[in-house]
Amino acid sequence: MNGIWLKKRYPPKRATNISCVAEQKENEPSFPVLSCTWETVGHQTKDEQTTYTLMVEIPFPRLNRADCITGVFCKGIINRTETYTSSPTPHNKASVSFGSFPHHMNLDIWVVSQSSLGKIESEHLRQDAHYFVKTSAPSNVKVIVEQSFPTSLLVKWQHPIDQVYIKLTSQIRFCQDGSLDWRYVDVPNADTSVQTSFRLQDLQPGKDYVIQVRCKNVRRNRGYWSDWSDSVTEKTPEDRPTSKPDLWWKSENGEAQLICKEPKFSNGRITAYSIKLRYTKKEGEQEIIPVNGSGTQQSVDQKPVTLLKRISLADKPSVRVCVAAINSVGTSPEACLHIPAKPSGTQTVEGMNVSTLDGQMFVEWKQPNSAAVTEYVIEWMSNGKIDWQRERNSTNKTAIKGKLQPYVCYNVSVYPIQSGFIRKPARLEAYLKQGAPSEGPSTQSNPAYYSAELWWNPIPLDKRRGFITNYTIFYQKDHQLKNITVPGNITSYDLTNLSGNTKYDVWITASTIAGSGKGISHSFTTLKYAPEMVAGVVVGVSLGFLFFVLMTTLLCFYKKEVIKKNLWPQIPNPGESTIGNWSPDYPSKVETPKENCVTGVCVLNVGVCEVTPGFEEDKTSLSLKKDKYLSEEHSSGIFGSSCMSSPRQSVSDSDEGPDLADSTASTVQYSSVVASSGYKGQNPAPQPQHSIFSRSESTQPLLDSEEHPDIVQEGSRQVQCSPRESLFTHGAENQNTIESDNCRLLGMEQHDFCPLKEEAEQTTESDSQSADAESASPLSSYMPQLGGYRPQ
Amino acid sequence: MNGHVKSMNFQQRAETAATLLCFLLLLAVDSTKTVAAARNRECSSDLERTLRLTKLIHRQTGVLIKTYKAFQGEMGPGVCKATGFDVPDPNISGLEPSERMASMYTHLQAFSSHLKRVQEQQTDLQLPGSIVLRKINESRVQNKRLSSSINSLYHTFFPNLPLPEPAGGPTTLPPPQTVFQQKIYGCVVLTTYKVFLANMSKNVKTLKSKMCRKAPKSTSNSGR
Repeated sequence: MNGIWLKKRYPPKRATNISCVAEQKENEPSFPVLSCTWETVGHQTKDEQTTYTLMVEIPFPRLNRADCITGVFCKGIINRTETYTSSPTPHNKASVSFGSFPHHMNLDIWVVSQSSLGKIESEHLRQDAHYFVKTSAPSNVKVIVEQSFPTSLLVKWQHPIDQVYIKLTSQIRFCQDGSLDWRYVDVPNADTSVQTSFRLQDLQPGKDYVIQVRCKNVRRNRGYWSDWSDSVTEKTPEDRPTSKPDLWWKSENGEAQLICKEPKFSNGRITAYSIKLRYTKKEGEQEIIPVNGSGTQQSVDQKPVTLLKRISLADKPSVRVCVAAINSVGTSPEACLHIPAKPSGTQTVEGMNVSTLDGQMFVEWKQPNSAAVTEYVIEWMSNGKIDWQRERNSTNKTAIKGKLQPYVCYNVSVYPIQSGFIRKPARLEAYLKQGAPSEGPSTQSNPAYYSAELWWNPIPLDKRRGFITNYTIFYQKDHQLKNITVPGNITSYDLTNLSGNTKYDVWITASTIAGSGKGISHSFTTLKYAPEMVAGVVVGVSLGFLFFVLMTTLLCFYKKEVIKKNLWPQIPNPGESTIGNWSPDYPSKVETPKENCVTGVCVLNVGVCEVTPGFEEDKTSLSLKKDKYLSEEHSSGIFGSSCMSSPRQSVSDSDEGPDLADSTASTVQYSSVVASSGYKGQNPAPQPQHSIFSRSESTQPLLDSEEHPDIVQEGSRQVQCSPRESLFTHGAENQNTIESDNCRLLGMEQHDFCPLKEEAEQTTESDSQSADAESASPLSSYMPQLGGYRPQ
Repeated sequence: MNGHVKSMNFQQRAETAATLLCFLLLLAVDSTKTVAAARNRECSSDLERTLRLTKLIHRQTGVLIKTYKAFQGEMGPGVCKATGFDVPDPNISGLEPSERMASMYTHLQAFSSHLKRVQEQQTDLQLPGSIVLRKINESRVQNKRLSSSINSLYHTFFPNLPLPEPAGGPTTLPPPQTVFQQKIYGCVVLTTYKVFLANMSKNVKTLKSKMCRKAPKSTSNSGR
């Protein structure tokens, strides 16, 4: 099949803006390679690539081929034209090599673009060969210091190539060490020679300077500047300081600290400061304070702040301070300041405002109308570091020149100065840039039932990173989260509407205008019972108890007969008894009991020693005889006196029911006297013959005073309830219990039985003795019947 | 109209024409001055460039001689001033600028032949890539450039004067020589060539002052 194949093609792209450079070979006066770059114009398809060939020709001056006169001579010239060609390249840069660089010759440079559609020549670049030259940097740069010229430095260098090849001009740049503020100086050349030295002037004495040199073809618009030479640093000689030190003060802990910065033109290293203090009109002595590194503080603008002296103004209204800086050559002019103990007077600076813009802090204020201010001092302080700057009296807005740190709180002050006198300042706190607090406050709590009191400490200043605008309190129960926002000036809050006996997680975030910082989570559990509930329970219980007590009391009052009947057996009243003499040799008479008289009740003395060691023991021992107390020994009365009557059961069992006091039918011998003074278990001592014991026909045991009236009864004892003395022949356990109950009901106290033990021992010891021994203890063992006695 | 009015009109027109003519003449004179100044600048620039090239080649030839001597071994004093090698006279002849310029050109052509012969001989005596060979080659290249430059200037300044042929005919080179003779011959050529370049430098300087009016120098320290 026949057909016509069509392919889209573009003409070759044309090269434009050709730029060439020939760099000097290191340490040789040769420029072996000419490198050129260009831009391309036009379109190109992917499969059709344009190649470029760099052409360099050395034409003859003002003689091109078209103008050449045909003839022998011109022909010879054309044949000898030098042409250099690069390899074809698809890129937009190429280079050619010269065997010998064509110094002082013109070059004709162009680029031939070629593709399948043909060739295109670029515009020709015709220039002197030195138009493209870039020499090496100057070498062997030296800086010479001359002591007699403290503001000058002599710079010398060597050109990289002899002026027979290229005549060069030089340029010097210099700056103070550490500064990037370069100053440039063009070195002028003489007509016949080139300059390789130059004297820098108007430098600051005592400063380090960094110096560099570069060179270029002396002809205008020819050649490129070389690279800068290696830096050389030298220090100018020192000179006397020509400006005053910057004197200021700081108040700390009730004393004034004199601080200062070096003079602007210190012209050398400041080695000391001279200070004059004047408290009165009389001039004070001069004091020289050497400068060392320990007393200096690096200010935020890299200028050292020196602490000169601490002055106490406790008893002085003010002090005038004059300071001068001293270096190795001389002394600077004096700077004076009048420091008051407290800046007095009305505040002359008003409307102070601090703002930030583009990373700078600006301070502005309103100038006072009447006050004769000579200058202002802007001071800023943070973390104990202080810095300041001075402004003219016509200034009312300035930027703080020091290096301020973001997220740091600065105390900014504006001090008006009147002829060296410090007046009352205006102060504000400010941040260059605020950020979110780096930590939040830690929470403490005091939970109640329905509420909880929270409090927290303010965030430390270094962690605050901004002005706290508000606190947000988050508290969470299970998965329910709530929050409350409170102003930034409070540090406590009461959470209400909480649930009792519930665990809450709480945390507080502190917020600035830039963000928030979260505090550590804190947990608390509300009270299980509300205080009101507890109080209510307590009150209720108390009321119930009181009601119970009241009812019991009423019950006791109204049923006292029943109680008495149950709790206290009837004890006959000794006052109504008839006392008859009887003797232990004779059997006891069995008399018919009188009416309403309990007789023949034998009270057995259990024995004090058995009771007193321990009340519990007594209970246990006595519990064995709970129902009936049977005594094989016979005792009568209270004191264990022996009873000659035959042993009989003494029954005082309440279980038996009938009141003994009421039973008149059966006569029970109330007491029997055994002629034995021995304690139970002891061998009874021989009884005196014909000992007569008075015996009462009453059912009531005999009092010691009645048995032994000659014995002085010692003071009444309060022990009226003594478990060792069983007035009732009763189960011992119940007896003790009832007795203690009775004591409580009567409001009596039970006393310790230990002392009675001694008495009991005494009693047992003296049992063998006469009734004297028996009389020693009777009072404590007598338990009068209170309300329980029924007359017989 | 009367005749007086007619004559007045003519006079007015004649005055106007004369004024115009004078103005045109002034313009023409000024343009010639500008052209002349431009020509002077170019003249000065071209001759200045040629002068610098001459000085450069002179300096390079001095370095070449030192290098040549170092690579030839021990040669006695005064060897490089020997005669009998048909080396061209280093002096430039002629009275007129054109003659002197033509003399420079012919001398350069003659030295070019001798430099070629020295290069050939030293190629056999030195190692390939020797610095002596490189510098001799560079000297030949510079010689061609300088002669082309002089030729171009001659035709620029004297377009109607053809360059005359050398008086002695084509340059004659010495017969085959021994190694020792070759070494001496090379030193003699280079030494004489250097003397010639010094003379040429002076002559170009003289030509510049003679043939080009003084143009203001355009030297400045400001660069790209």
